[in-house]
Amino acid sequence: MSPDVWAWIANTPVRTWVVDSPYVWPTLESIHFASLCVLMGSLLVVDLRLIGLYRQPCAPTVRFLIRLAVAAFAINLATGLLFFLGNTYKYVDNAAFELKLVLIAIAGLNALLYKRSLSHIVESDELSWSSVGVGWLSLLLWSGVIVCGRMITFYAP
Amino acid sequence: MSLLAYLEATALSQWLSISMLGFPTLIALHSVGMAVVVGLSLIVALRLNGVVVTGIDGQLVAKLLTIAAWGFVLNFVTGLALFITRGADYITSGIFLIKMLLVIVSAIILFWLRERLEPVDSTSRALVADRLARNLSLVAATLWFAAVVAGRLIAYLSDLYR
Repeated sequence: MSPDVWAWIANTPVRTWVVDSPYVWPTLESIHFASLCVLMGSLLVVDLRLIGLYRQPCAPTVRFLIRLAVAAFAINLATGLLFFLGNTYKYVDNAAFELKLVLIAIAGLNALLYKRSLSHIVESDELSWSSVGVGWLSLLLWSGVIVCGRMITFYAP
Repeated sequence: MSLLAYLEATALSQWLSISMLGFPTLIALHSVGMAVVVGLSLIVALRLNGVVVTGIDGQLVAKLLTIAAWGFVLNFVTGLALFITRGADYITSGIFLIKMLLVIVSAIILFWLRERLEPVDSTSRALVADRLARNLSLVAATLWFAAVVAGRLIAYLSDLYR
């Protein structure tokens, strides 16, 4: 994208709100971190189910855990957007941030497959190659997202 | 203090501080371990208290606590390695000490719960969780989240990263 676009994004009124107070950024970070724990915890329980480490939990719990993960992701998308608007040039041309976005995109595609594998497993109680693959992929991708996220600060231009 | 100074002077500590493979990698792994411990502690607390998460039996709770314990081990090791790079500074940071207190209490509860819930008969699908176990699981989940916030605030409420 052209420098003009970044300049515009970097100078919205949101930037002032996020950066001017010494409290807003640390608060947003704390929320982002707490929420990623919720996202990882709930996905982990479901992923290990797909991988076949155990045969539970039953369908209603799986649905609840996935809703919990989606809610946590929404919180992190919102806080993440505020980081981007608040300190745009920390993220533009940042290898760790770019890789994080790519991993999130792949994890999103994986989640679509996920939905199929999940209903298949919960109903048939059988494992398949695809479900095991989807489970491992989800685990590795989200771990990668956390690693890249934590690396952003070391790769800031 | 001389022990901390000695640790900081070791070749390992020097490498951890300078190398891009050292400090950033450790802190990134520390984040993954954090997500595993804290996230699973929350799910277990919800389960033991019968909040929404119900379709998980005793064996699985014990398994999840074991995985959480491995997450804690990862963070104990990476945390220790991070600590020796700046031990003398960390030990005088109030917010770091608060985080340690929160982590120690939560970890004790985590391992206690694991012992308490594990001996459940392996053929049984029931989960025997008494009131104490239920309450402490909630205390631990809350303190873990407080530890996450305290950990993040080390960057702001101490001079360590300025």
